[in-house]
Amino acid sequence: MKLIQFASITKKMALAAFGLFLLLFLPVHLGINLCLLREDGGEWYRNASHFMGTNYIVKVFEIVLMASVLLHIIIAILLTIENFLARPVKYKVKSKTKTKTGSKYMIITGVVIACFLVLHFINFYFVKLDLIEGKYTAEIEKIDKHFQQKALKLQKGELNEKEQAQLMAQYQAISQVSQEKMDMSQKNLVNLSKEEVKLYCGEDFEEYEPDFYVMSQDLFSNRLYSIIYIFVFVILGLHLSHAIKSIAQTFGLNHNKYNYAIELVANSYAILIPIGFALIPIWIMYIK
Amino acid sequence: MDFTLKIWRQENANAKGRFETYKINDISPDCSFLEMLDILNESLVNKLSHPVCFDNDCREGICGMCGLYINGHPHGPDQAITTCQLHMRKFKDKETIVIEPWRAKPFPIIRDLVVDRTALDKIIQEGGYVSVTTGGIPDGNAIPIPKYKADQAMDSASCIGCGACVAACKNASAMLFVSAKVTQLSLLPQGKPESSIRVQKMVAKMDELGFGNCTNTYACEAECPKEIKCSNIAKMNREFLFAKVCTEENI
Ligand code: FES
Repeated sequence: MKLIQFASITKKMALAAFGLFLLLFLPVHLGINLCLLREDGGEWYRNASHFMGTNYIVKVFEIVLMASVLLHIIIAILLTIENFLARPVKYKVKSKTKTKTGSKYMIITGVVIACFLVLHFINFYFVKLDLIEGKYTAEIEKIDKHFQQKALKLQKGELNEKEQAQLMAQYQAISQVSQEKMDMSQKNLVNLSKEEVKLYCGEDFEEYEPDFYVMSQDLFSNRLYSIIYIFVFVILGLHLSHAIKSIAQTFGLNHNKYNYAIELVANSYAILIPIGFALIPIWIMYIK
Repeated sequence: MDFTLKIWRQENANAKGRFETYKINDISPDCSFLEMLDILNESLVNKLSHPVCFDNDCREGICGMCGLYINGHPHGPDQAITTCQLHMRKFKDKETIVIEPWRAKPFPIIRDLVVDRTALDKIIQEGGYVSVTTGGIPDGNAIPIPKYKADQAMDSASCIGCGACVAACKNASAMLFVSAKVTQLSLLPQGKPESSIRVQKMVAKMDELGFGNCTNTYACEAECPKEIKCSNIAKMNREFLFAKVCTEENI
């Protein structure tokens, strides 16, 4: 039975192509995550998040990335259903043929990763989309500018009573802001709830961003989350161990001359990427 | 040697099948697997019950008719052999041996362990040939073919079409079979002109017949009695991509 009317090889190639794009994104994400290891109160990490959140090229890639994730999952599920239907009566004795572990459990490891992705989106991406409240950060310079504009309006007598009261409250709050709400460089207010954003920056201030640094630190201080996180990356390693070799095979790259090179790249990718990611919770849990 | 056999029995394609258990004693270790089944069948016939049906023909590993899924392995636990080349010394004395037919949607059961593998023939009919106009016999050396190519084509051509790759694959995919045929023909100058159209037609037929999609698990390669390599599949993928992207003849 065919669920989508494309040749089997075409579907495989599409699956591989989307997978390849996801593979290329992993080192980028890892690079940003590794900024968490720097003891700078999150300066680098926040800069990187700021770049990823505002750059237009990145925004285009974000759409491509999300589409790749979705299509990769959808095609994989469809192929799995088709494959399941191709053998309606199963064997009594399970196959004893020796094959690579990674290749056998792609769909299972894939499901685990997809589940984690949902959690990850709830924790971070939904905050960015403003579907869930998180913690926020804002540049003090921008807050100042916004405040001064308001003050100017006040002098001109353009503010009504309510706005005047708000401005006074903001002035008081900001002059008493605690050190904990500032980052090391003293340039940003950090770790703000939505309420606090309104209080410190004014009701109509819009240039705040999610404070992913504080949010990730909060998550990693939860031991259960860290353990789940490390487990998921072991699973991802298993998924990756088959991924690159499989992509090469699907696009017809299989030759004695360079198979060892593919093998080398595939294995180092499958080991280094998960280690890189898992390093962060381990660092926060044991070393820091 | 003594064995307990658990064999799949099924009257016809639509009947409900079941496992039957048989005891068989005093089997010589030099006995082949099919001979062992012959001995069992003789005793069944003597008891006036229906013998166990299984496919076989040449009994020397060249025709590809025999094919049993034995203890979780197509063609049994040995490497690079067909079921008819399997010997009982490969099993332990008093072992329980479970024998199942090939299981895949395109391979309906005819009776007991015999499955209908016409699906593979249908794929061949789609393009697994070279179109030639008849006439005088061409001179054997008229078309030069490099030795390494001839060897590669010969390796692919050694596929006997037994269907063990389909039986072994967790997705019941026929990619190894189809790719062996596609590769064998497209490596040689006689098969080259039709290679783009051939690969598209054969893959389309394979999909239509309900074989699964390859996930590069390579169980087929591990179980193939003729040790056909998965590099054939890579070559077919390459050719398919080329045919779809670069040739005008699309189907
Ligand atoms: S009977 Fe011909 S290959 Fe086994």
